[in-house]
Amino acid sequence: MFNYLTRRVLLGLLTLLLITFVVYALIRHMPGTPLTLDQANMDPSKMLSPAEIERMNKQYGLDKPWYEAYFVWLSNVVRGDLGKSIPQNNRPVVRLILDRMPATLVLSVTSLVLTYLLSIPIGLWATVRSGTFAERSVSTILYMLYSLPAFVAALYLQLLFYSKLGWLPLFGMMSDNYETLSTAGRAWDIFQHALLPIVCFTYGSLAYYSRFIRANMQEVIRQDFIRTAKAKGVPGWSVIWHHAFRNTLIPLVTLIGLTLPSLLSGAVILEQIFAWPGMGRLFFEAIGQRDYDTVMGLVLMFSALTLLGQLLADVLYAVVDPRVSYQ
Amino acid sequence: MSTVDPTQQTEILNAGPPSGGFWSETWRNFRRRKLAMIALGFVIVLCLIALFAPVIVGTKPIVCKFKGRIYFPCMGYYVRSWENPVLRNARLPHHYPTRLKQLDPESWAIYPLVYQDPYWRVRADEWPGQPENPWGVRGAPNRWNWFGTDQQGFDVFAQMVHGTQIAMSVGFVSMSIAAVIGITIGALAGYFGGWIDMVLSRLIELVMCIPSLVLILALVAIMDNISNLHLMAVIGITSWTSIARLARAEFLKLKQMEFVTAARAIGASGPRIIFLHVLRNALAPVLVPITFGVAAAILIESGLSYLGFGASPPNPSWGTLLKMGRSAIEQMWWLIFFPGLAIFLTVLAYNLIGEGLQEATDPRLRQSAH
Repeated sequence: MFNYLTRRVLLGLLTLLLITFVVYALIRHMPGTPLTLDQANMDPSKMLSPAEIERMNKQYGLDKPWYEAYFVWLSNVVRGDLGKSIPQNNRPVVRLILDRMPATLVLSVTSLVLTYLLSIPIGLWATVRSGTFAERSVSTILYMLYSLPAFVAALYLQLLFYSKLGWLPLFGMMSDNYETLSTAGRAWDIFQHALLPIVCFTYGSLAYYSRFIRANMQEVIRQDFIRTAKAKGVPGWSVIWHHAFRNTLIPLVTLIGLTLPSLLSGAVILEQIFAWPGMGRLFFEAIGQRDYDTVMGLVLMFSALTLLGQLLADVLYAVVDPRVSYQ
Repeated sequence: MSTVDPTQQTEILNAGPPSGGFWSETWRNFRRRKLAMIALGFVIVLCLIALFAPVIVGTKPIVCKFKGRIYFPCMGYYVRSWENPVLRNARLPHHYPTRLKQLDPESWAIYPLVYQDPYWRVRADEWPGQPENPWGVRGAPNRWNWFGTDQQGFDVFAQMVHGTQIAMSVGFVSMSIAAVIGITIGALAGYFGGWIDMVLSRLIELVMCIPSLVLILALVAIMDNISNLHLMAVIGITSWTSIARLARAEFLKLKQMEFVTAARAIGASGPRIIFLHVLRNALAPVLVPITFGVAAAILIESGLSYLGFGASPPNPSWGTLLKMGRSAIEQMWWLIFFPGLAIFLTVLAYNLIGEGLQEATDPRLRQSAH
């Protein structure tokens, strides 16, 4: 196991190195630099003179060719410094990311918990009631939801709950008068704002997980040991819960590992639609502003989480299934 | 030892329907699934709509006779220069129904089913009896503008019909690119194994781990003047990983089969075995991620158009309509409802086809179906 882990971690580090190198090359080749793009938004009187730009280029190390700059960035990262965001007044990238993290976590953690809480009962119910009219209609609806793109759903929900009914706010995370509200009022305010984004984050994975659980259950309940359990008189719910469902946990557990990166990555288009101040939006803004260090910080985090998630899935697989071992 | 009576043997052989090849078997299994067949029909209809968009809705005649010659002005919707310069020099565009008769009383023309245009606002008296297009909040769906009009008074139905072209072609072209890259890399990795597999697997992992939006946005920004074709290429070269992984797994499995050994024994060359013998058997399972990929490509295209990184503005796209709708969400619901529905149905159809294919090619499910 130890050897396996070491090999995986070393390979992961190599992949990480390659990813950051490729992404750094790509973003440095996009036209414009943080300085020139920032300038375009300012009024002409504040435009930097060429000499000034040259001085600042030197100061920020933008005058170096990209491969040299990459190694400067890399050596800083190894020393624990993710750099500063030039367009955001030189704020450290770590601070920027930490500022945006709670907003994304509110959505992703709630949606993950909801997904598991709802999809397991739905999946089990669909197995027990397999073939009935109610099950078939629920499964069809879930399949349609699975195919409904989240950003279309988001726009439809906004249309219904904001324009038509006027029940929920259109975007943002809190109202303008947030500061004046009581604690309960603040919680209610955030809840109102978060409701639609959470629904959009949840329904797709809910549909996917319920179908996944149902498909696995369907395979398991055909096995001999289920027939044995039924034959010796184990009550129906116990057969489903203790005998069948336990045996579908293995693929489910590995799925947890693979959802790890999505907890922090946010969703660019959804966050854009709801103007939600999360990681996805930060990422989109950073690309638009050619904010190299922020983009690199986020990419580093996402890809490290993705690799870690894959590793976690494989390790969990060995933990829950004693037949699997990595020798 | 029992011997089988020859007549009985033929009886056994004739018992079932004649077993066809792999593809006819797959098709037979696929055809049994009603929803998948409906979805396939829907996609075919969409392809026809995309192909014949200028015949369905447009302001240029499909065919007309002008000063003794036959022209096909609607071809101008495909490529601008295909609308004969003679017609453009006669200042006919925008005014076909009225000016054609003015300039040549002998002329005749056959018009598209709906007289509307995705690129300009139809004015009053362009078409006898048709009022000018309303714009902005007054452009709700009506008798003349079935799906309403946008901020500038362009017809939404016309934009959606012409936007089908980009949605369909993005799906097909980008997935063809992805399929070629994915199958090649997967085939090489799976067939040769060893260090080639090691290197190519790292490459697959690398592309999988880079957030696809970084890759797409960076590539889109690097080629600053983006056309639809660029967009398709970018989507294609960022979404081949799942195809490559599946192709690799299939090749790993198939290269150990007897027919490959047999082919090698008769001296077939490597490429011949890969492309002629193995690929043919691996293609049906690989079609599954390709079909799902088409749905994903359509989503990426509309998402990029929504973010404002799609094809350049005059080209109608479902995602661009959504973007316009989002900025006027309080009044102009029709700008969101219809394009959203189109995206949803198209993605649903491709997912259903993909699922049907998956079930039709999966040997485990195939046996249980019998």
